[in-house]
Amino acid sequence: MTKPTVASDWLCGCAGCHMSLLDIDERILQVVDLVDLRATPITDLKEPDEKGVTVGILEGGINNTYNEEVAKRMRERCKILVALGDCAVFGGVPAMRNFVGVESALQRAYIDAESVDAEGLIPADPELAEMTRVRAVSEVVPVDVFIPGCPPDADTIFYALVELAQGRIPEIKNDKLHWH
Amino acid sequence: MIKLTIDGKTVEVKEGTTVLEAAEQAGIYVPTLCHHPQLTPYGGCRLCMVDVEGARTLQPSCTMPASDGMVVNTKSQKVLDARKFVLTLIFSERNHFCMYCQVSGGDCELQNRAYDEDMTHWDLQPNWTPYDVDASHPFIVLDNNRCILCRRCVRACGELVGNYTLGFEERGAKSFLVADYDVPLGESTCVSCGTCVQICPTGALIDRQSAYQGKETEVDHHISVCTECSIGCVRDVLTRDNRLVRIEGDWDTEPSNGLLCENGRFIPLEEDRPRVVTPLVRKDGSLKAATWDEALDTIASGLGAGKGLAALASTKLPAEALAYFKSLFADKLSADTVTTLEEGAATASLSKLAEKLGKSFESSLDVLKDTEAVLSLELDLVKDHQVAGFFVKRQLQDGTKLFVAGCDDCALAANAKVTLPLNPGSEAVLLVKLVDAVENGTDDADLAAVVDALKAAEKPVIVYGKTFAANADEIALDALLKLADLTGAALVGVKGNANSMAAAQLGLEAPFKTEGASAAVVVLGDEAPTAKLTKDLEKVPFVVALSAYESQLTGAADVVLPVAMWAEESGTYLSMDGRLQKAIKSLEAPEGVLTTLETLEKIAGAVKVQPDQDWKTSLMARIPTIQIQEA
Ligand code: SF4
Ligand code: SF4
Ligand code: SF4
Ligand code: SF4
Ligand code: FES
Repeated sequence: MTKPTVASDWLCGCAGCHMSLLDIDERILQVVDLVDLRATPITDLKEPDEKGVTVGILEGGINNTYNEEVAKRMRERCKILVALGDCAVFGGVPAMRNFVGVESALQRAYIDAESVDAEGLIPADPELAEMTRVRAVSEVVPVDVFIPGCPPDADTIFYALVELAQGRIPEIKNDKLHWH
Repeated sequence: MIKLTIDGKTVEVKEGTTVLEAAEQAGIYVPTLCHHPQLTPYGGCRLCMVDVEGARTLQPSCTMPASDGMVVNTKSQKVLDARKFVLTLIFSERNHFCMYCQVSGGDCELQNRAYDEDMTHWDLQPNWTPYDVDASHPFIVLDNNRCILCRRCVRACGELVGNYTLGFEERGAKSFLVADYDVPLGESTCVSCGTCVQICPTGALIDRQSAYQGKETEVDHHISVCTECSIGCVRDVLTRDNRLVRIEGDWDTEPSNGLLCENGRFIPLEEDRPRVVTPLVRKDGSLKAATWDEALDTIASGLGAGKGLAALASTKLPAEALAYFKSLFADKLSADTVTTLEEGAATASLSKLAEKLGKSFESSLDVLKDTEAVLSLELDLVKDHQVAGFFVKRQLQDGTKLFVAGCDDCALAANAKVTLPLNPGSEAVLLVKLVDAVENGTDDADLAAVVDALKAAEKPVIVYGKTFAANADEIALDALLKLADLTGAALVGVKGNANSMAAAQLGLEAPFKTEGASAAVVVLGDEAPTAKLTKDLEKVPFVVALSAYESQLTGAADVVLPVAMWAEESGTYLSMDGRLQKAIKSLEAPEGVLTTLETLEKIAGAVKVQPDQDWKTSLMARIPTIQIQEA
């Protein structure tokens, strides 16, 4: 039997959830034994295989049109989509900007910030993705497994990966469930 | 009795029991949010919904009365789904991004309830309306963004504290919590009791002193009695790594059932006086750090044979230390004056009255919690002994009549039906008039209002404080007893500091005079000396101070010995209404600092005497103003 394939990507997050994944330390070898780790932001292959993967993992919320594309592509190419971490599950810290709106967040960051001189400029290159409200992944594409936490513990991530590798849906509860 | 079935279990409960209480009695847990055992059921959050056979919809168990033959299911799929839905609605109403919230991780009831339901997420987006955060209060931060509109705080401020500071503006999901008529909390009528913070289930009301200092999982709890006044509220002292994190009231313990005042809850955490950490001895005109032996030798030679010696102790000290202090200085060293910093002002006349009567005559604080008429004599319960003031104020809405004498422009008078003028020294005049008004009637409308209300009340109370005790003469006290007798009023004396009644029982009530004093020992503990005491002691040639903190007094003393502060020692306290309670050590004292009792033992050793250790017998020897009960 071929091993289940896993791909991951990060969106509007801080990469902390992927760091927490690496925190499983040498247990990564057990994971590699169980699954075929395909594209991730920290390996060479960046995009999930066109022919699809078993499990897709997304870190981060969706804050612009590019994130939307990545999320939709992951959804199309995976059987089970996992939202990893509070940003993917709820929008997280970046979603704080929703309380003030995109305009004033940009104004604050690029013009009014104490470190910006008189030449402050809001980036407006047409190549750049268009910013949107920060959304949870599930607001854009259906999500199958939610693993909240800022970041989720390495143990929880390891447990979830092992369960998924063996064709089970992980149950995130009790000491594995926290939103901070 | 009513018989009902909950989750297949038959429960028998009293008439008037709610379904929630019945479930509790049956050992069945139903999650709640807006409900709090100390508050009137409100039925606002709908988390406690249960399936009642025959009812059209799910019913909130916290407000629904149990009835005979009722069949209740608390775990049906319908109930479980409703719970998740209710939580989803609450979460999506405001900003519940837990990763940047002070109470996240065990201290938030909302979060805990969601974890109980295994909620990894919720499906509705938050309503992205931001609210301003109100950080104007010295101790409290109000963040409407985390508020779940449960109104526990509003109800607690009204029902428990009687302060009615908090309320809501707007309606429905737009409601937001305000103080008074939407003024910053720091400029409102709030009396900083902190009850709202303690009762808030979320991070909407947090206290700034403890914010981010330690979660429930990281702190140690010490259930201990408050040493700030003689009410003796039981408080929970939270510490972490030998640091004070927070002080909370204990909902389950009398007399105040969770209430504290600002002096018991917040002020102790503001402590910033420099500590005395080593013995100090005056050499060549200035105080220098010294060894214990040096300091004790200096004390032994400076005290002489008790002639011209005055010894003063704080009434904030544990009873063990006070009794030992008395035995050491009065019995063993025969000092001229052995008294307390209060000099018995809050108690002496009353203790003498009890002795004259041969029995106790005062009632417990509980009578203030349920009364139709209160006469307060020379006492501002809004500033002093505040929790007793809360007991009175919270009943005013129900028609309890308050009469205030001798406290014209005090805050309590603002709540009074009638205020009676009373100057210190004229207590007898007023009380004799009141007695006469009961016996023979009166034309004075104010006096008539007071006596009529006292007579009409089923359980009237007369409460008095330190000023009254200090000024009332025998005629006044006899009239007080007679008035109580004629009207059936209970008498409540609030006394002074935490152990002023213990000091009274030990007979530590002499006035302190400096004439003729050649040496003085002042046992301050953590009490801040008054300017008057500091000045009086300037006239005494040799002064020894036992103090936790530096002050002008210690700066002028000849020998200073460091002692523990309130949180660093265990000991017994006798409340104003005779409850013997324990203060529990919550912190380790700095290296080399001993408790007051241990330090007194060192002094006894240096002057080669062996004081009596049996504090309890000494405490019980005198007829108390109110019966003493061990907690
Ligand atoms: S109040 Fe509770 S649920 Fe809301 S953000 Fe804070 S911890 Fe989370
Ligand atoms: S601290 Fe006390 S008085 Fe102030 S608002 Fe809260 S409950 Fe009311
Ligand atoms: S501030 Fe706290 S106690 Fe008051 S209504 Fe909001 S959540 Fe409830
Ligand atoms: S009323 Fe007295 S005992 Fe109670 S908290 Fe306040 S100071 Fe402490
Ligand atoms: S706990 Fe019953 S409605 Fe809130």
